Amino acid sequence: MIFSAGCGRNERMDAVYAQRCLNCHGAGGRGDGPMAASLPVAPPDFRDTVERKGNPQIRRLIADGKGLMPAFEPALSPSEINDMLQMVRFLSREGRQISWWEKFDTLVVAHCSIPWEAVLGYDEPAAEKKL
Amino acid sequence: MKTLRGWVYCRFGLAFFLNFASLASAASAPHLALKAVERREVMLPIDDFSLTDQSGKNFHFKNLQGKVVVVAFSYTTCPDICPLITAALRQVQTNLSNEERKNSHLLTVTTDPEIDSPKVLAGYAKRYGAELGGWSFLTGDESTLKSVWKNFGVGVKRKARGLVDHTPLTAIVDRHGVLRFAYVGPSPDVKLVLRDVRFLISDS
Repeated sequence: MIFSAGCGRNERMDAVYAQRCLNCHGAGGRGDGPMAASLPVAPPDFRDTVERKGNPQIRRLIADGKGLMPAFEPALSPSEINDMLQMVRFLSREGRQISWWEKFDTLVVAHCSIPWEAVLGYDEPAAEKKL
Repeated sequence: MKTLRGWVYCRFGLAFFLNFASLASAASAPHLALKAVERREVMLPIDDFSLTDQSGKNFHFKNLQGKVVVVAFSYTTCPDICPLITAALRQVQTNLSNEERKNSHLLTVTTDPEIDSPKVLAGYAKRYGAELGGWSFLTGDESTLKSVWKNFGVGVKRKARGLVDHTPLTAIVDRHGVLRFAYVGPSPDVKLVLRDVRFLISDS
């Protein structure tokens, strides 16, 4: 089936974002999650900063952490970090005019049915690693 | 070639539509209710234990006898309350005088040994600016850690890789190895912790 379901934002991305990011960054990435007010340093609204960063930079930040943000590399597989990256990209594009190259990026990078793991040489997460 | 190009365009077109259609549901994720920190006065002798610190060396709890020990339970990939606990401990350490530092020690005991190797803990300690002379980050095999968690009354439940539910305990142990104050909650009040630590340091 060429037009298979599950393209674009999907449940896997929602789940990883809800479990690991939402408490601080909030549902829309504005830094207004339920934990945000309790943090000694307010989490930033990542929508603007994400716009100015490349995918490798964002992936590195998720993997290594920053300030109070955990380093997720030890816990998540590369494809899960990629899901997180996609989600961050989606949220950063919500409600603003996006440039043509960003649309192209959305189409290419966020297309979940392309077997990125195989193309980029990522390991498939082991059964127990799946959320 | 034309067929392939048409397939690619169609597929990307559908992806484009679904990607932006899905943005409409961006604010539907669940929210976490933040509970207040509860401070309890207790008298619970803590059994000796041996774990591994962030530099890979053996750590024996009994070696801290004569010092007041602040023990926190957290894990490095925790996405909610642990950063608050560790940040609070960092503030406690910063606010202790040199003399108080000689008479006290901070411990962070992992609740996720699957992820938290000494190397991972060392990176975590560095990110928080922990002064490692007076603060140890501990891990070990699961069976040893289970007995430590049980000893302190900490419940731990693994939800997924790198995602653990646990009792958010920050405990203060006196010079004789007796747990005296327990803070249960996301962010212990630094002033209260400092007051309790100073009280136990001065308590002969």
